[in-house]
Amino acid sequence: MNAQRGNLGFGLGLRSTYYQAILEQQPAIDWFEIVSENYLVAGGKALYFLDAIGEQYPLVMHGVSLSIGGPHELDRDYLRQLKHLAARVQPAWISDHLCWSRGNAHQLHDLLPLPYTEESLQHVAERVRQVQDVIERPLVLENVSSYLRCADDQFSEWQFLAALSELSGCELLLDVNNVYVSARNHGFDAWAFISNLPKQRIRQLHLAGHSDYGSYLIDTHDQPVSDPVWQLYQRTLQHLGPVSTLLERDDHFPDLDVLLDELNTARRFAVQALQGTAQCA
Amino acid sequence: MRLSDWQAQVQAYLLKPDAQPNPALQASLLGSAALSAEQGLAIYHNAYRARLLEALRGDYPAVHGWLGDEEFDALALAYLAAHPSQHFSLRWLGAQLADFIDGYLIPAQAAPLSELARLEWAFTLAFDAPEGQPLSLAQMAELPAEDWPSLQVRLLPSVQWLACRHNSLAIWRAGKEQDDFPGSQALVEVETCVVWRDQLITRYRSLAADEAAALQGMTAQGWNFAELCGELAHLGEQAPAQAVSWLHQWLADGLLQRADQAQP
Repeated sequence: MNAQRGNLGFGLGLRSTYYQAILEQQPAIDWFEIVSENYLVAGGKALYFLDAIGEQYPLVMHGVSLSIGGPHELDRDYLRQLKHLAARVQPAWISDHLCWSRGNAHQLHDLLPLPYTEESLQHVAERVRQVQDVIERPLVLENVSSYLRCADDQFSEWQFLAALSELSGCELLLDVNNVYVSARNHGFDAWAFISNLPKQRIRQLHLAGHSDYGSYLIDTHDQPVSDPVWQLYQRTLQHLGPVSTLLERDDHFPDLDVLLDELNTARRFAVQALQGTAQCA
Repeated sequence: MRLSDWQAQVQAYLLKPDAQPNPALQASLLGSAALSAEQGLAIYHNAYRARLLEALRGDYPAVHGWLGDEEFDALALAYLAAHPSQHFSLRWLGAQLADFIDGYLIPAQAAPLSELARLEWAFTLAFDAPEGQPLSLAQMAELPAEDWPSLQVRLLPSVQWLACRHNSLAIWRAGKEQDDFPGSQALVEVETCVVWRDQLITRYRSLAADEAAALQGMTAQGWNFAELCGELAHLGEQAPAQAVSWLHQWLADGLLQRADQAQP
């Protein structure tokens, strides 16, 4: 299972704040995930550091503007640029989100949730196939944190992801924090979400922090990973076995050492979780 | 509701100034005990503005500092209403702000502000422009003497050329240094400012009128080196020395590429 998944180990989201520190310290990080859009530029600092860091670490490309569920035509120019970047980066895989980020007329720059209906399923599956034809590899799609739920839903989010993967051949990026945030906001069982996904399709896990607004949570990526998310992460690993794990931080950037400590916490929790499964096996 | 109709409703909701959803959109959603449908919608409504304002503040720190939060946000929201984002990357969100300012404010107010916005946008353009093939001093040192007269050069792709009629550079520098902003002043003479990227560092420099004319002649009008010397004939015997001095400076700055290597 491990080999099938191509487990990269424990990675960190590459952010410009840390470019210099990464090259100077060469930290013990197994891999980096880049935000693809940050490197769809003609030249300059971002591409320089991308090349320099890519020489030393495996990279994965993670996009935020594919808008796979959007009402518009797929942006062929964006896909062309993405493929060009992939030729430069040689990523282990390419991911984006199950969402829409662009309306008919304008870019909305957010990861907006979809109604989980048969119509949405057919719409997204057809577009995933189109994307995969261009990038010539399976697209990996992430579950988003959400604050809306549609009255017309015919599937749960996990049923939708499973069906989409089956229909289109896409793989899944399971964001454990997003599951927790959405579960709290919408009142579903986080473990029901995770345990009902098709195991073999899960290519990668995400970990991040959120902000607690009392009755609901917002996925802010500006905090350490919370205890309940660590617990869900351990349970997920016991269920799946080893999977590439990525820590994200997008604001309130601490020193790189602080994130390295948090990544080591993930390593420690993973060892604990997997020791149990190894004994069972 | 069909998917595309629902998405049109959500888009219209996000773009409108107030966070009050229309009944059809509200009826399409389910709230929970933790988060009502109205609260959920409002999270997206707030996030849309916050994200776009943050991007514009990031691209225009001096305009933001000069105007202050309230006036900048009012300007930015008016801009976003007139120019909703069309590019997948927020990097291009602010591309038309300077032109928008020209039409949004009365000319006396618009002129210094749009010039400052153009200066700041020039830095963003220089930051991630294509590399080109910089002509170095070392390469020039190897150029055979007989090739000097016919040498033609172009500006590298990152070089942005601005004609400043106001003290925009002083305002920009004050913002950068977090000093008090000087008052806006019209300059007696137009000042040429170039902004470019040298290796990974974004730089800027003001050019005196004669240097600006010489650089513009060589890089835009196609003068070769001999013609540059000819244009400086009024300097007499000093003409070649002045031409060499400027060329040396432009090469040291990292402004030039050879004309025969420039992209059309």
